[in-house]
Amino acid sequence: MRRHLTVGTRARARSELVYALAILAAVALAPLAVANDYWLGVLIVSMYFALLAAAWNLLAGYTGQFSLAPAAFGMIGAYATGLLSYHYAVPPLLGIPAAVAIVGLIGLTLGRVVMRLRGPYLALTTLSFGEIMRLVVSNSINFTRGDLGLNVPGILESRVGYYYLMLAVLLAVELGLFLLLRSRAGLYLQAIRDDEVAAASRGVRIVLWKTLAFALSAAISGLAGALYAHFAQLVSPELGLLSQTGLIVSMVVIGGMGTLVGPIGGAFLVYVASEFLRNVGGYQLIVFALFVIIFARFFREGLWGLLRRAIA
Amino acid sequence: MLSLSLSLDLLVNGLIIGLFYALMAIGLSLIFGILRIVNFAHGEFYMVGAYAYTLIALAFGLSPWLTLPLAFAAGAAVGFVVERLLMRPLYAGYTSWGLMKDEYAVIVTFGLSLLLINLVDKVVGPYGYRGPSLVQVSRIALGPIMISGHRLIAAAVALLVIVAVALFIRYSFWGRQIRAVAQNRLGASLAGIDTAKASAIVFALAGGLAALAGALLSPIFNPTPDVGVFPAIKSYVIVVLGGMGSIPGSILASLMLGVLESFGAVYISYDYRDTFGLAILILFLLFRPQGLFGEREREV
Repeated sequence: MRRHLTVGTRARARSELVYALAILAAVALAPLAVANDYWLGVLIVSMYFALLAAAWNLLAGYTGQFSLAPAAFGMIGAYATGLLSYHYAVPPLLGIPAAVAIVGLIGLTLGRVVMRLRGPYLALTTLSFGEIMRLVVSNSINFTRGDLGLNVPGILESRVGYYYLMLAVLLAVELGLFLLLRSRAGLYLQAIRDDEVAAASRGVRIVLWKTLAFALSAAISGLAGALYAHFAQLVSPELGLLSQTGLIVSMVVIGGMGTLVGPIGGAFLVYVASEFLRNVGGYQLIVFALFVIIFARFFREGLWGLLRRAIA
Repeated sequence: MLSLSLSLDLLVNGLIIGLFYALMAIGLSLIFGILRIVNFAHGEFYMVGAYAYTLIALAFGLSPWLTLPLAFAAGAAVGFVVERLLMRPLYAGYTSWGLMKDEYAVIVTFGLSLLLINLVDKVVGPYGYRGPSLVQVSRIALGPIMISGHRLIAAAVALLVIVAVALFIRYSFWGRQIRAVAQNRLGASLAGIDTAKASAIVFALAGGLAALAGALLSPIFNPTPDVGVFPAIKSYVIVVLGGMGSIPGSILASLMLGVLESFGAVYISYDYRDTFGLAILILFLLFRPQGLFGEREREV
């Protein structure tokens, strides 16, 4: 039984990786067609969201733990590297890894605490954690400049440079997730998602693995935030708004939860669509929220699940 | 230095705010009791009430006393529709879902919150309106302390409604049925109770109560599309503090949070007043997740 499950999961993961790489290959060629700086920027921000969505999906889709703090972790990552360079003149090349480590550590600490909780309690605690962090950042005006926003130095000259930097990071994260999910640890996570009690009864240390997944997911979000900070060169507490978390959740739910392709495809689809909708009158969040409800209610497998069934 | 009249003033104002929190928290607690989910769109019920009260009064020039029940009705209608359209799958079939109950509820109510906030933002606009006061008396002296007339009357209304709801849940026919479903859904349905109807009543009641809180507070906190976010977070804190599903616990915890915030804003930090409750929430979840009055759940 277990062997069968393992083989099936691995074969599926491999076929998903192929499609995910195909999407990224298409993205890699996009600058040839899109010369416009504005749309290049849109695609770069989409990749920031794709990283956040992939991180949230590791937790929600593969481990079954619903955190409502992904945007907050992104915000902390952005501020970590931003504050290091603003106050201590730390170069970005050191600031970005430092931000990943800081957010990972915060995730590990918070994870140790919240991973003993289940379902609604987990969502409540992470929601309040995220809101506390946002309020602290926006009220600590002397240290973070609050709602005015913090200026962050850039790292590259051209937009195309940032574009390929983000793409390379996204590719690395996606490959890393693929390797993780087909490993023993990945199977533990999915076993926890499918039945926590059964997994524990088979000797999986559920609190340990859930905590590690939470910390890893936080670290990836922190990396996304830190890269975004150096691209946008201005960070503000708005990065941690609940509506940002809403956007990330809708990318994963619409794209397809618990798949490698879904969150990435969802991130590009949702963010690019949101740029169009913004231009025709700012209906983006209404449309996505409606889609989230409809997908969660009727098409749980998301667009990718529907597509896969259409292909098969 | 704690001066007596200042502390008395802070205590009374804290208790008054606590009453409004209780209107929100009771509904949230009832929903948790009957469906074992947290409604992440609870703040938007509040927002619907605040807008219904303010806009109806402004558009038709009705007396605020007439629009108050209308706001309650608007919230109740939203709550009822939400239950019918989105909450049914939680208990009617769908057991083969891969997506577990908690996760479905979090996603759907979170999505609903996002939808309602942005819908109102588009339709009504992002700017706040000031809700009409219930009475035109600006200040009432209550012994050594002064309270705004609206605040005092609104608190009295809130208190009356809370007592009425507590009596309804405790003694009425439907109240008993709701409590039975909260204790054991299967057992209640075997005893002939219409559990779907009980859930619908709970959602309508919870929506109405949150909307009433929004309406009563609209002259103090002008309705904006995201006006419900903080009251909702406060009520999450309260239901954890008071024990999920416990109504006396929710009421007591609401009053405690109101008083704590009122003193904390003066003696600790005004800027961080909204973070006290959140910090308490995390502490409670860590050390006493069953709350003050809740029962520890065990899995068999």
